[in-house]
Amino acid sequence: METILFFIIQIILIPLISPFFIGLTRKVKARMQNRTGASPFQPYKDLWKLFHKDEVISVDASWIFKAAPYIIFSTTIIIGASIPLITTLTTNSYMGDFLVIVYLIALGTFFLALAGLDTGGAFGGFASSREMVVSALTEGGLILSLLILALISHSTNLTTITSTISSLSYLNFAPVILAFLSFIISILAENNRYPFDNPATHLELTMIHEAMILEYSGKKLALMEWASANKYLIFIALGVNLFIPWGIATSLNWVTTLTALVIFLTKVSVFCILIATLESSIAKLRFFKLPSLLFTSLVFCIIALGLII
Amino acid sequence: MSTDQIIKKYIKDAKTIVHGNMIMFEVTTDKILSVCRELYDRQLPLKIISAFDERKEKDLFKVAYVFGLPKQNMFLVPYIMVKDEFPSLTPLIHQASNYERKIYTFFGLKPTGHPSLRTLILHENWPANIFPLRKDFKWNSRPKLANGDFQFRKLEGEGVYEIPVGPVHAGIIEPGHFRFSVLGEEILLLEPRLGYSHKGSEKLFEELPLQDKIKLSERISGDSSFSHSLAFCLALESLGGIKISSRTNYLRVIFAELERLSNHIGDIGAIMVDTGYNFGGASGARLKEVVMQINEELTGSRFLRGVSKVGGINATLTTESIEKLIKSLNQLENDFKEVIHIAENTTTLLLRLKKTGVLQAEVARDHGVIGVAGKAIGFEMDARVDYPYAAYNQLQLKIATEKGGDVYARFEVRIKEVYSSIELIKQSLRKLSQSNNDDTKAITFKKNSYAIGIVEGWRGDIIYLISTDSNGEISRVDVRDPSFLNWAALGFAGKGNMVPDFPLINKSFNLSYSGNDL
Repeated sequence: METILFFIIQIILIPLISPFFIGLTRKVKARMQNRTGASPFQPYKDLWKLFHKDEVISVDASWIFKAAPYIIFSTTIIIGASIPLITTLTTNSYMGDFLVIVYLIALGTFFLALAGLDTGGAFGGFASSREMVVSALTEGGLILSLLILALISHSTNLTTITSTISSLSYLNFAPVILAFLSFIISILAENNRYPFDNPATHLELTMIHEAMILEYSGKKLALMEWASANKYLIFIALGVNLFIPWGIATSLNWVTTLTALVIFLTKVSVFCILIATLESSIAKLRFFKLPSLLFTSLVFCIIALGLII
Repeated sequence: MSTDQIIKKYIKDAKTIVHGNMIMFEVTTDKILSVCRELYDRQLPLKIISAFDERKEKDLFKVAYVFGLPKQNMFLVPYIMVKDEFPSLTPLIHQASNYERKIYTFFGLKPTGHPSLRTLILHENWPANIFPLRKDFKWNSRPKLANGDFQFRKLEGEGVYEIPVGPVHAGIIEPGHFRFSVLGEEILLLEPRLGYSHKGSEKLFEELPLQDKIKLSERISGDSSFSHSLAFCLALESLGGIKISSRTNYLRVIFAELERLSNHIGDIGAIMVDTGYNFGGASGARLKEVVMQINEELTGSRFLRGVSKVGGINATLTTESIEKLIKSLNQLENDFKEVIHIAENTTTLLLRLKKTGVLQAEVARDHGVIGVAGKAIGFEMDARVDYPYAAYNQLQLKIATEKGGDVYARFEVRIKEVYSSIELIKQSLRKLSQSNNDDTKAITFKKNSYAIGIVEGWRGDIIYLISTDSNGEISRVDVRDPSFLNWAALGFAGKGNMVPDFPLINKSFNLSYSGNDL
């Protein structure tokens, strides 16, 4: 019974709070640039506005263009419901497998890239090509960093991993830290943050993610934006719950669950602030330099693997 | 050197007419190419080629080639009288190409021997047999739309594809079309196509009353309002033989440098934004706003519009406002220094700027690149030093140059010019006298005469070439914004770079579309 309850809570929780963390990141970035910035709740207003707007769809668009926002949005909802957020008691043995999660994410990326190509616009085309390059190179680091956790905890189930890592002795923590560093690079690459992509740019020629959704408007754009907010939160949630899982609820009662929720939100907020700080203090890397950064992520994992075996 | 010595040195025995600082002499069409090439070989920069419709008086068109004499503040102007075609100088001096195409488009005079003769600025919807700058074309007539043809240069090969960008862009910038031929992410060919903001400004200059002509000059390129109108006023003053008081001259320096300051600071910020370095970008925008507000407080206009006038200046600086100005400048300089210090220590920013968008010195020389882009290669030219106007000959100024020719060099040139502008304003404020003895008599212009106004705008030198008819009325105004020359070289700076670096390269040039399209 509780498992189903938590499943439902998680389905709602991720899309409910994800726009806030996009807003929070923007707010912190604005403060770092000596600007006041919009309220962290601004993304909710933006979504509301977009849902009330009409759409323009190119006559050249196929069903892929129309279906992609729903597919991408629903994958983020499914993933959001399957990962450990505030408790380790939601063992969902089919959906909670890290390989399922990683390839559900890849499914979303695949449709996003197809949608970018679909209308035949020049910007969408090269954005999709760039996205595929980046995500193909990210995959190694992403899978390996999670595989290290799986090897430590002898399970590919994310919830089991969370409980194992939280009870791990400090002496065995070195590979986890290395895997975490690698995972952080993957978070930045998968969510098109600095130094891979500039989510705030208006220059079509430099875009990756933004150029793929350039042709979208109105409700479908809202879904796309919302889905990328969900993805951002999912990655950060995976990061904080798998690699630094302390504070997650291990027993079920209202007090521990609420405490766990507060701790979870705090950890995610701190992570958003760190990303915002990073984005304010560096410039975007030149596109051809990105593979070396992703390679670094792979190297971290290989060292960590060496430490385990 | 006196005028006579210059004539002796460069022209020898030709019959010359001196108009202000222009030494004009007629050359036959068969000799003009060798005369121009000789002047060019003697290191005189070609400043502008312009045509004049003189069919009413002489039944012929005049084509004039203006060469500058740096440090002498004089111009040598060989000219030819032609009927419908003239020999093309382009095979000998490449930078003549676009001037000749412009004359071809607007006067219908054919440069024979031009290697790639196409119309410039006017698009294929303009009828090919209507030439708007001829005197018999009425400025308010509206020709039927034509259906001409325009072909971009085509590159073919496996994996080569084209990216069309513009003319409408994201963000608030001017319209222009860029056609990239790309292999993967590498730019093989970049062809800009401009003319979308053509407004018929040169024709309009011939029609408007004098006061409105000055307003029009302020709107040729809105971010250079003061420099453009100053260049125009300098030319008008030379035609009217008007003397300018020392106070006005210093005030002109102050406002010209304030304009340079706001635009350079804005560009420095914008370059950082385009690399994604948000802190620098936001700081640049903030500091630019500080200068804009100084402008507004002193003159009532953030863009210094309505400040220029013939024979004087529409601004008074009280002792109080001078003190305040010095204070804000000191504050600005400190803040700017701090931002640049942080930026120069940000490795990721420097990685993006260095070696990006390199413009080769040889290409730049052939295209006559001037201004920031020229200084970034090491070309030591600056109208403030070479053809000193206003009070610049009484001020200390070192031309800011760099060597790399890349985005970083253009970034650095701007930084150096920001410091030198602040210094120039301070120097001028110290020397500013209280007396104001401007000529206020009615303005009459010399008849059948010519004049040049040249001002170093923040992009490079701006030239106004003006002629008057037999009634002393202004019969032609030719405007040459520095963008006109530098646009031709931009494609070469983009070649070989990656597509995502192009916006950064373009921003480091930051050329005017409006000033080019006129």
